[in-house]
Amino acid sequence: MSVKVHFLLEDLLVEAPEGTPLQAIADAAGADITFGCRTGSCGTCRVRVAEGLGHCSEMGAEERDFLQGLDAPADQRLACQVTVHGDVAIDYLGL
Amino acid sequence: MTTLDTLLRDKVLLLDGGMGTQIFARTPTVEDYGGPALEGCVDLLTERRPQWIREIHESYLNAGADAVETNTFGANPLVLGEFGLADKAYGLNVQAASLAKEVARSFDRPRFVIGSVGPGTKLITLGHVGYAELLASYRVQMDGLLDGGADAILIETCQDLGQIKVAVRAAREAMAAKQRKVPLWVQATVETTGTLLVGSDIAAVLTSVEPLGIDVLGLNCATGPDEMHQHLQTLCEASPFPISCLPNAGLPENVAGQVVYPLDPAAFAPKVLHAASEFGLAILGGCCGTTPDHIRALAPGVEKLNPPERTPKLERSAASLYQSVALKQEPAPLIVGERTNANGSKKFRDLLAAEDWDGMIALAKEQQKEGAHLLDLCVAYVGRDEVRDAGELLGRLVSQITLPLVIDSTEVPVIEKALQRSPGRCVVNSINFEDGEGKARKILDLCRTYGAAVVGLTIDERGMAKTREEKLAVAKRLHALVVGEYGMDAGDLIIDPLTFTLGSGDETFRGSAVETLEALRLIKAELPGVMTMLGVSNVSFGLNPAARHVLNALMLYHGVKHGLDMAIFNASKVLPVAKIDPEERRMVEDLIFDRRSEGYDPLKAVLARFSDRKATLADDHRADLPVLERLHHGILDGEKQAILADVDEALKDHDPLKLINEVLLGAMKVVGERFGSGEMQLPFVLESAEAMKAAIKRIEPHLPRESTYQKGRILLATVKGDVHDIGKNLVDIILSNNGFEVKNLGIKQPIESILKELEAWPADAIGLSGLLVKSTVIMKENLHFLEEQAQRVPVILGGAALTRDYVEGDCRRSYSGAVLYAEDAFEGLRHMQALVAGDVSVPAPAPAASAAGDIRILKRGSASVPLTEHGQSSWVRHDAPSPEPPFWGVREIADAPVDLFEHLDEFALVRNRWGFSQGSQGAEAFAAVLRNKAEPQLARWKERLAADPVFQPKARYGYFPVRAEGDALRVLDPGDRSKTLAVLGFPRQGSGRRLCIADFFRADATDVLALQLVTLGQAAADHAARLYREDGYADYFAFHGLATELTEAYAERVHARIRRELGIHHRDLPGRALFAQGYQGSRYSYGYPACPDLEGNGPILDLLRGAEIGVHLSDSHQMDPEYSTSALVAWHPQARYFSA
Repeated sequence: MSVKVHFLLEDLLVEAPEGTPLQAIADAAGADITFGCRTGSCGTCRVRVAEGLGHCSEMGAEERDFLQGLDAPADQRLACQVTVHGDVAIDYLGL
Repeated sequence: MTTLDTLLRDKVLLLDGGMGTQIFARTPTVEDYGGPALEGCVDLLTERRPQWIREIHESYLNAGADAVETNTFGANPLVLGEFGLADKAYGLNVQAASLAKEVARSFDRPRFVIGSVGPGTKLITLGHVGYAELLASYRVQMDGLLDGGADAILIETCQDLGQIKVAVRAAREAMAAKQRKVPLWVQATVETTGTLLVGSDIAAVLTSVEPLGIDVLGLNCATGPDEMHQHLQTLCEASPFPISCLPNAGLPENVAGQVVYPLDPAAFAPKVLHAASEFGLAILGGCCGTTPDHIRALAPGVEKLNPPERTPKLERSAASLYQSVALKQEPAPLIVGERTNANGSKKFRDLLAAEDWDGMIALAKEQQKEGAHLLDLCVAYVGRDEVRDAGELLGRLVSQITLPLVIDSTEVPVIEKALQRSPGRCVVNSINFEDGEGKARKILDLCRTYGAAVVGLTIDERGMAKTREEKLAVAKRLHALVVGEYGMDAGDLIIDPLTFTLGSGDETFRGSAVETLEALRLIKAELPGVMTMLGVSNVSFGLNPAARHVLNALMLYHGVKHGLDMAIFNASKVLPVAKIDPEERRMVEDLIFDRRSEGYDPLKAVLARFSDRKATLADDHRADLPVLERLHHGILDGEKQAILADVDEALKDHDPLKLINEVLLGAMKVVGERFGSGEMQLPFVLESAEAMKAAIKRIEPHLPRESTYQKGRILLATVKGDVHDIGKNLVDIILSNNGFEVKNLGIKQPIESILKELEAWPADAIGLSGLLVKSTVIMKENLHFLEEQAQRVPVILGGAALTRDYVEGDCRRSYSGAVLYAEDAFEGLRHMQALVAGDVSVPAPAPAASAAGDIRILKRGSASVPLTEHGQSSWVRHDAPSPEPPFWGVREIADAPVDLFEHLDEFALVRNRWGFSQGSQGAEAFAAVLRNKAEPQLARWKERLAADPVFQPKARYGYFPVRAEGDALRVLDPGDRSKTLAVLGFPRQGSGRRLCIADFFRADATDVLALQLVTLGQAAADHAARLYREDGYADYFAFHGLATELTEAYAERVHARIRRELGIHHRDLPGRALFAQGYQGSRYSYGYPACPDLEGNGPILDLLRGAEIGVHLSDSHQMDPEYSTSALVAWHPQARYFSA
């Protein structure tokens, strides 16, 4: 099963196997998302999941704690922590 | 008559604003103070410039304040003594209070005078001043304020729990002596860190001062109103006292060497009024930076407020210096750690005899780790001076332990000394009526003075109460005295109905457990609100450890069912009842409930059943375990001191080589497994490694000559051009403490040197490390070089920028020997074990296309953003004018280390640097680890670094006129803009927004570029190196992480200053959001995705003349010393991080 990831900032549409980490997809496709620590503690790669939030992997404790600390809205995720299980549209916040 | 108290019932009270701010606005001269030696003695101005003080009071009363605070913040003999004016203290207080009264009386409606009592300059909790000395000093001040006519005493700006308690006592004693009782108010100062200066949170403050019977508890100073919300919320929910709130006019900012408060009256007033209605505040006003205009802005809103109605709910609690712990735990029971007790623990007794204070503290910390809620502390030891021992131990202990204390003594002087040395709220254990009520009263007097809770034992003149009726009778008598006569809250009386052993077989005590359990039920039913406690393990004295374990657990279980709230217990031995064998449970319950029958005696059954059994569960009564097991646990628990005695004992009967190979390395293997499964955190792993190192050092002299326990050898190095050594050093620690010989070549190692070492010192593998992205390329080049040299030595690669795919694909293709990827130190260890065992053949390279092969681009947005005529991304708009910097060129600043903590990203430090992660733990267990381990660790470092000049933070920053030219910035000479100082080039994104750092600066006009460079100084780097050399692994790792984050914090501090100076700071977000670029503009450092090339550091250092603060560039273009960082600051609102 493959899924489609739409990077809205540059209108880039990518197909990848279900369960692929979002950062691998972004890296391979050259999407305009900046990663920092890639461990869920710097927040550089914060994105808004514009569509398909339910197709993203569950949050781990680290990511949840990090985003809660920022009072981030529920549709925001750290791109480095997400694996994709269905079609999603991703808006890089560049925060 | 209107009094302060009646007024408080009728309205929200408005106090004045800052006194110091108003005084300094009059720019006092040396002449005003009365000579150079007295400069800065603000309290003296009451005498020297009374007209000023009068004017200030008048201006606040005219602005609408109901009350003013006297100019006596530092007017006590200790502070004035620093100016040689100690004997003026009383007079200055009288004068200040009467002057203020005089002004107040000249107004129409009732206005009041609040006697201000500041925190002084010495922290009693940290031992800067003795109890008696501080008490005497405050007494003089209180006497003066009362004699001068103050309508209330306000102990304010409190930074130290210990200080509050002393000042409250001084005020009480002064009022009693003068028979003039006025309201007593207390205000604590919560720093931006969320705690008082010494680390106490507001709940700990409330718990500790509540029993002292004050009249108001509030907050002032340190921060603006917004930062106080969380703490006001805590008080709103729990404090029985009216709440006051006197914030600063915002968080103080340092602008060009001047302290500036950002909130003007129009911004300040709505924030304070909002907090007043949100949190039910009763008294409002201002502190530093607030003026009569701030008070005037508040006045109309305050008139509209109704007196607050709150329904606070205060749980009876005890407190340490740091935190409050409710005596009623859900689920019950609260566990009182029993091992820091010279009567109950041989280990503690031995440590006390040896005056090994650190060892005793270690034992206390162990119990904290095991989950005790409070710590029982008893230093009674025949032949020793118990008062001195209590003082010595507590003086050291209270700042290192986060658990509240139970002072276990019946000696009045010991209890008093212990209470004086304990800044939080203690429980005193205990009173009884063995010799009538005299001694109990003396101890209760102390409990009242120091605000302690108390344990009462059911013992009276006839001796220990044995039946349920006797126990209840004594409990009622305790209640009548403590609650009835002394007026203490029933929840602060903890009744211990006594436990006797069932192990002796003594007929008189066969039914004693039943009597105790039934007494619990009766006490809870007949004396509502009182708490109960038992020394549970007494029930099993005389039995063997395995039987004790089960009996104690079941007695605890039934105790709780009968109403037991608190148990003195070994926290590590709490055994879930479900895990007890049903047959054994029945037998032991028969013993507890004395169910004997014809031919059946449960005691005999228990004795027979457990006769040859060792305690099977983790047992921290080390003495109960065989020595090899003690060693095993010593490693797991990282006890580098305690393990040595066990090593010595084990060496008597065991082969030293076997001890290392089987016992110690076996334990380290478990450590590695637990780390891998997420059960064990990195800081604990390092403690285990330290214990391992200590044990091996002890064993080594006993090893037969020529023998080695070492399994193999590895050469370790950080690759050429990379200065990062923490990761490599962690690998060194783990490998060398798991039986491998490690030669650590250090940083910036060219492959040629590594190979040369290999020839001289043949090893089983080379380990290459590096943090930089560039290092991953170097590693591949190194492998090519080894290939050319026809080497086949296995190479293990590790480092932050590496990926498994890259190592197992690209890197393996470059070299014919084995190339292995180690994600962490333990994977490196597994590789080494496999290599030495011959289990590794040369793995084949992974196929070139890995996961990426299955990722297909279906559509790429038709057009990239076009570039402008100047060659810049048209995505960036230049419609806002560039800000004007306050100066052009470069300035140097120095900051105190403690200032950096304000900007510390604690989340990043604890989670990322220190490696605390939830792993497989539950959320609660992890929260406990953070609370009991990470937070105290941070507090300790903060304290240590405040005293030790290992950090010498310095920074240089400046503003340069620049002009963008395509992908570059032309930096102009601020003195002569026709001259170019440097041209800085940056990479540009290939598609999409096509961004480049230069785009955030104007091409059609001169713009402003800010540059900054910060360093913690050479001493910090030297200190880290020394910790590592001396095998302080956990300290080294913690220090390195902290220093790295403090470097970031310093960069953020300087960046904040730049934003302020450019006038773009109003976009700063509060709290942690700031660390995630929660501000206008961006700060770019070389080596990160927008400007990855470290060579860019060269021009920045030249422009800022970094050498003047000792910062140089290494040949690999990195900052030296370590803990230095530079950055370019763009002010443009669209400037954010991006990857070029």
